Amino acid sequence: MISEEKLRILTESAKYDVSCSSSGSGRKNTGGLGDGMPDGCCHSFTPDGRCVSLLKILMSNDCVFDCKYCMSRASCDVPRATASPEEICELTIDFYKRNYIEGLFLSSAVHISPNHTMEALVRTVKLLRTRYGFQGYIHVKGIPKADEGLVTEAARYADRMSYNVELPSERSLKLLAPQKSKQSLLLPMKQLQRERALFRAEKRKGYFLPAGQTTQLIVGASPECDGQILRLAQGLYRAAGLKRVYYSSYVPVLHDSALPDLGSPALREHRLYQADWLLRFYGFDAEELVPPEGDLPSDLDPKCAWALRNMHLFPVEVNRAPLEALLRVPGIGARSAQKILAARRYTSLTFEHLKKMRVVLKRARHFITASGKFYGAGNELAVRGLLVAGEAHANATQLSLFDGAARSALTGEL
Amino acid sequence: MIWFFDGSKQAFLTAFVYAYRDEDAVLSAGNSQLMLGQKSCFVRADAQKARRAEERLKTIDPACMKELDLLLRSGENNRGQIAFAYFRLIAARQCPVRGMLAEDAVTDAAECIRRVTTELHRFKGFVRFMESASGALYAPIAPDHDICDLLVPHFARRMPHIPFVLHDVRRAKAAVWDGKHAFTAPLAQAEIALSADEAGWQALWKRYYASVNIPSRARLKQMKGYMPVRYWKFMPEDPASLAESLRQAPKASPRTPQDGAPHPNGSPRSPHGCARP
Repeated sequence: MISEEKLRILTESAKYDVSCSSSGSGRKNTGGLGDGMPDGCCHSFTPDGRCVSLLKILMSNDCVFDCKYCMSRASCDVPRATASPEEICELTIDFYKRNYIEGLFLSSAVHISPNHTMEALVRTVKLLRTRYGFQGYIHVKGIPKADEGLVTEAARYADRMSYNVELPSERSLKLLAPQKSKQSLLLPMKQLQRERALFRAEKRKGYFLPAGQTTQLIVGASPECDGQILRLAQGLYRAAGLKRVYYSSYVPVLHDSALPDLGSPALREHRLYQADWLLRFYGFDAEELVPPEGDLPSDLDPKCAWALRNMHLFPVEVNRAPLEALLRVPGIGARSAQKILAARRYTSLTFEHLKKMRVVLKRARHFITASGKFYGAGNELAVRGLLVAGEAHANATQLSLFDGAARSALTGEL
Repeated sequence: MIWFFDGSKQAFLTAFVYAYRDEDAVLSAGNSQLMLGQKSCFVRADAQKARRAEERLKTIDPACMKELDLLLRSGENNRGQIAFAYFRLIAARQCPVRGMLAEDAVTDAAECIRRVTTELHRFKGFVRFMESASGALYAPIAPDHDICDLLVPHFARRMPHIPFVLHDVRRAKAAVWDGKHAFTAPLAQAEIALSADEAGWQALWKRYYASVNIPSRARLKQMKGYMPVRYWKFMPEDPASLAESLRQAPKASPRTPQDGAPHPNGSPRSPHGCARP
């Protein structure tokens, strides 16, 4: 059994990775322990609001790289630990059996050398799959600059792999993560994509990364704007076939002349995720959402902002509009659009019906007609005003007589 | 007239046959307040009537019996009435109605089913097994809806060789997988002799849970939205005590509003998951 202290060190160094999904793999159980759940499954939630799905852990946090933004970097004075493959395997099996976790998210600092580290990761995953007969979800982090053969070997046993791009341009990478280069990250991604495509084309037996690849970008540590970031993400989705790009806003905890002194607002990360969803599920292009040298608007979500720039396309009639048009209406999501498609086959929908079906009309009413009726504000300026007010309102609180000073005045405890 | 039935499928179908022609019939599987002058009747299951009704409904909509099963599993008091309104619509229209989302009966039934299946999905994650001395697994649960036997195939697929018991303590019943067969049995209380390592693994899990949390980004409302407090009771990681300890801890400094609690030994740390490398 691994010691509690070692588990704490290795978990605390791994916890800032945002990726937590266990979806996308339909791996079947063939006599061992575990299987994949294509929809993914959250097993617990921590007080920071994040889900615990996988056992997120580093093999080692003893790093030879010196990336400026990272707390396990070589020049940082933190307690170091390294786990053995057996310790990781036992931990995974016993946690999984008790239904604490959905699988393993195995990552590592670059311990001794990239190849040495990647070998340790591969050995662990292989052991888990073969000797321990584990068939649950495994996410393995790729180590840049490791040999191609090791990368392929890892992909044979893992459900998902990820190389973190971290910084959106080569220049920033050189400045903040001097040992990494764009090529050292993109080449293995492309290699895996090529091999996965080949594996599928030949209909070979077994699995090769059934849940694909993901990556992560830090937002606000370097000067790139949202336009660049979204174009990069779009490229990764379309050219490199990635399943997800995660964004994480930068927070200054470390003073370095190369790093900005102020953090990036959480709202920016939120807007990027909204735009990311629009790219993947709503048929938008990055070019429609944001100019190449611009940022996403902060007072409105990207879909509303796009709709306001394209008022000539609205309103659309919910009873006739095709799915693609419905999906572009602010406030109507994929599920609402499907409900509308199903319901309108039987009757002509009115606003009353939409309300009953729980389609949120707060934003949508400005952009749709239902059975010819229109309840929106009409002109663009009024719509913008209402939408912005709606966004601001979400964060507002009612003033109270019984807050702070007022309360203490009432009770006399000044 | 209020038609009471015992919550079983057969009794529901029997009551359905009786109540179908009654304009203002109410079906109830639980407690219902009688109105002044309102009549009531307790319906006993009639196998023949139920079978005929089932066959008739199945010819109209082959998938509707699965929906009935889920509706009757709901823990809501008005589940009988929701199911009745939905099946009356099927019988009246003589066709599958699940797409007619503009009808109240359909949206109510769909929402009710969604609540049951949502809880089913949640429990695939929230069940916590403990290992007994014999190696079998035992998990107490207290779901809102009667779903414990629906969870069995999921876990049996994952761990076909390990026998386990899912104990619904609210309904005093257990769903069992013995390594070959699945069955349910009444079970009021269980005494489990735990395996030697169980306490150790639970302590490790608790430590993991506390370590993977980012204290300076407390979002308790979000946490409770995803994992309602009523489910916390049987979780060894003890979310309540971690949440409580964070609530009492001082807030992060205003300079780094989202993150930036000082590291124990004063070293800087990265908040944005650079997840190496």
